[in-house]
Amino acid sequence: MFGEEDIVKSHKSRADVITNIILVSFAIILARLWYLQIYMGEAYRRYSLENSLRKETVMAPRGMIFSRNNELMVHNVPRFDVIIVPQYLKTPKETVEMLAQRIEVPAAEIFQKLNRAKREQASYIPVVIKKNLSRKEVALIETENSYMPGVSVSTFITREYSDEFIGSHMLGYISKLDKQGKKKVKEYDEFQYIGVAGIEKVFDKHLKGDNGFEFVEVDALGRKRRYLKSDLLLDDIQNRPAVPGLNIRLTIDRDLQLAAYEALEGKVGSVVALDVTNGEILAIISRPSYNPSIFSRQLTSDYWSILSKDENEPLYDRAIQDHYPPGSTFKTITALAALEEGIVDENTEVRCNGYFQLGRKTFHCWKKHGHGVVNIYKAIRESCDVYFYKIGTKIDIDVLAKYAKMLGFGNKTGISLPRETRGLIPTKDWKLKKNAVPWQLGETLLTAIGQSYVLATPLQLTVAYAAIANNGRLVKPVLIKEIFSNAGDIVQQGNIEISPEKIFSDKTLKIVREGLFQVVNNPNGTAWWYRGKGINMSGKTGTSQVVRFSSDKIFNKCEDNEYKLRHHAVFAAYAPSDNPKIAVGVVVEHGCHGSSAGAPVATAIISKYLEKYYPELREKYLKEDNKMLAAHWSRKKAQAAEEAKKNDEE
Amino acid sequence: MNYSAILETLKKYDFSFFGAVIAIFFIGVINLYSATQASDQLSHSNLFKIQLFYFLISMAIALTISFVQTKNYFRYGYFIYGVNVFLLILVLTLGKIGMGAQRWLVLGPISFQPSEFMKISIVLALGRWFTKTDPHLVLGFKELIIPAIITFIPMILIVLQPDLGTGILVGLISFMIAFYRRLRWKVIVMLGIISLIGGSVMYQYGLKEYQRKRIIAFVNPDADAKGSGYNAIQSKIAIGSGEFLGKGYKKSTQASLQYLPENHTDFIFSIFNEEHGFFGSLVLISLYIVLFYRFIWLAQAVTKIFDSILAVGLMSIFFWHTFINMGMVMGLMPIVGVPLPLLSYGGTSLLTFMICCGVATSISNSRNFF
Repeated sequence: MFGEEDIVKSHKSRADVITNIILVSFAIILARLWYLQIYMGEAYRRYSLENSLRKETVMAPRGMIFSRNNELMVHNVPRFDVIIVPQYLKTPKETVEMLAQRIEVPAAEIFQKLNRAKREQASYIPVVIKKNLSRKEVALIETENSYMPGVSVSTFITREYSDEFIGSHMLGYISKLDKQGKKKVKEYDEFQYIGVAGIEKVFDKHLKGDNGFEFVEVDALGRKRRYLKSDLLLDDIQNRPAVPGLNIRLTIDRDLQLAAYEALEGKVGSVVALDVTNGEILAIISRPSYNPSIFSRQLTSDYWSILSKDENEPLYDRAIQDHYPPGSTFKTITALAALEEGIVDENTEVRCNGYFQLGRKTFHCWKKHGHGVVNIYKAIRESCDVYFYKIGTKIDIDVLAKYAKMLGFGNKTGISLPRETRGLIPTKDWKLKKNAVPWQLGETLLTAIGQSYVLATPLQLTVAYAAIANNGRLVKPVLIKEIFSNAGDIVQQGNIEISPEKIFSDKTLKIVREGLFQVVNNPNGTAWWYRGKGINMSGKTGTSQVVRFSSDKIFNKCEDNEYKLRHHAVFAAYAPSDNPKIAVGVVVEHGCHGSSAGAPVATAIISKYLEKYYPELREKYLKEDNKMLAAHWSRKKAQAAEEAKKNDEE
Repeated sequence: MNYSAILETLKKYDFSFFGAVIAIFFIGVINLYSATQASDQLSHSNLFKIQLFYFLISMAIALTISFVQTKNYFRYGYFIYGVNVFLLILVLTLGKIGMGAQRWLVLGPISFQPSEFMKISIVLALGRWFTKTDPHLVLGFKELIIPAIITFIPMILIVLQPDLGTGILVGLISFMIAFYRRLRWKVIVMLGIISLIGGSVMYQYGLKEYQRKRIIAFVNPDADAKGSGYNAIQSKIAIGSGEFLGKGYKKSTQASLQYLPENHTDFIFSIFNEEHGFFGSLVLISLYIVLFYRFIWLAQAVTKIFDSILAVGLMSIFFWHTFINMGMVMGLMPIVGVPLPLLSYGGTSLLTFMICCGVATSISNSRNFF
């Protein structure tokens, strides 16, 4: 048996081998150091001094946005900026003065920018001197580049919105990420663009693409070039190409969008048009509007502050972010609920004397002297308040709320746009929680005519009328037809959601739709004078009160009031009446009457729609209209003649 | 203890390890000062102070350890190993909650990486195992089964973190201990061939292109984000531009321009080379070799095989770190995130090396006064 010391000694040969391993290892390290520092040292020294290897970001082109008919709505356009890399600025004074002349920017201003950059960032980071150069300026700088070391022109891509102000709320806009913003969204590069509103925001992940990078060698003046021995240095460098963003095809029709925009000219309000069969949004416009192209160019903050100071709030998407009392357009929902619950039927008659007495409270009808005997058709057609007050006394508010919610009121529609509001459908619980006061019967009466607490977005209103038009099947509003790559592969299809069950019985729908048809097509209907031609439209007018007037002013002409106090005009419609295809909802703020201010907007869009997609139907309806009108006028004439005869006889 | 006893102790005390380590550390901290002062990032400018603070704590711990009797290492070898494995499991289960921080365990104000201490624990555990088995035996495959298990349990736990670099290091440390404990040459050659063929076959044919990329991303998650060749070439430019005498202290251009993102941790050697050149490296490497040589000397100077294995194991911790780090920053090896002993910034890593030094000193001291 050996002693322990001998055991240790018996490992001496291995200890020697380990010593040798160490020596050989460091011999390799030193040999490599010799190669790098002595053999290649000069080349590397030059590299390090000139910092001639620059990593440049290759911006991924952002995805384009198309209309449903493949017209380009949003795309990217190159833009030129002049930049200075302070590190390469050999003769600052001369160069800056020379540049100042060519781009018509005071030299002092350029120096100011350079000095600020000097404090904030390293000298190899370029400083943007002027954005959006004209072609002429680009040429002037490029040709005399060699006299201005450190100055160069860099190309950027800007986002261009073909229709500028039209539909900007839906499309949204993009903005450059600042240092703070970068911290919030990790997966973005600094200074990358990010969608801040509309489709640009919601589908930013799809649109943005992935930036790549590229290593370029530059000389002492910042110009790209290649050195000898470069291959030896650069062989283990990998560039990464940029991956372009995905493109989006919307359900939007550009012509309808334009028609809607023009119809709202000079007004404050919004309009939504959607395909009742599948919920595809054909047009969605809010006015006043803004030009999103400006956001991706210069002066972003200036433009922003102008917009945010405007009292009409052009940044606000009134179609989905604002809600209004739906006024008389909500009577349709009250009628549906009452019919379905058996509270009224086709034969129920109510006498309207111009007011309704509930206890000591008087509820006025809009028509001072009353409508006389009213049935459900006349009630809808002539928008008789008293008829609906009567329903209000018999229907439970929670039942009415149930039907309203089935039609999508009081909840977000789920449209793929940011910051949608949910509106409001009052219930007993809601009021108790909100005000700690129980629900009053009088409030049901007001809710029945779309006043009191009810609030709806123009989109919700349109969706509800679309469901009525679509035989009681609710559709979810969609904006996306498909998302596809540049190679044409479809990555995602818009998902159409239609409720499988009818919300209302056919009988109920038939009555209400007949009523809505008469609103527009009966000479006594509230929208008769604004019905448009050859579109076979059904609809409902409404006014939503901005303030409650005292009883002496209540029958004053709306237009006599101060602008800010005038009622909002609401109109909801669908067409053609016998086989509905399109539904439109309009709100014109302070427009006074749903008929005169709202209906023309809807008729403009529907006319355009039928002309474009169903010209033969349009022709048919035009003929029918002419026949109907001719009959109407001859009837009127006969009436007049008879009256004249009567007068003569007397 | 009276005055003369203290004097006696000091006379017998082996200061060589601490001497070499302190010399290297001070070169390191001066270099760290330069690397972090030059940086644009203000948050880095205080790092050298923090490193000095870590050093004082580590030094206190290491000095205490240097008075531990070596039989205690033997006695608690498996226990320490077991606790460390438990901590690694804890990291995997608890660490998952904090994204990307799976290597750390947080105990109140203290956070540390158990994988760093595993390097020492594995040396203790293997040392004890190899001492208990017949010390005359020349090791074959059969004798490697238990040591392999001892090695693979923590190794797999570390690789899962994921930290392939440290995992491989643990494997290499075990290998060097087995080698010292007279692993048959035949087995060494066979192991080499098996791992070489197995590894390359797996890499070439067993994996598809995207899987290979994933492995690269696994090894170094930052690789693609920053451009895989980018750090490597910037590091080579830094080293090469140093030429023979270097650019001079605090004259690094690569560090100041943030061309080397990790210039205070894994790429500290590049900055050192840029400023002090080939000559500076020669001095630094000589100091490392002196330190390693001292460990080897200790392995043969002790009377117990356990102490001897410990000395080699501790040396191998230092050696593999130094060799792999230097190799990777000068483009000889893939970049796997291994710190350079005593030069790279980092508290746990510094403490680990100081403990190694303390243990080595206590082994050396035990020859004289226990």
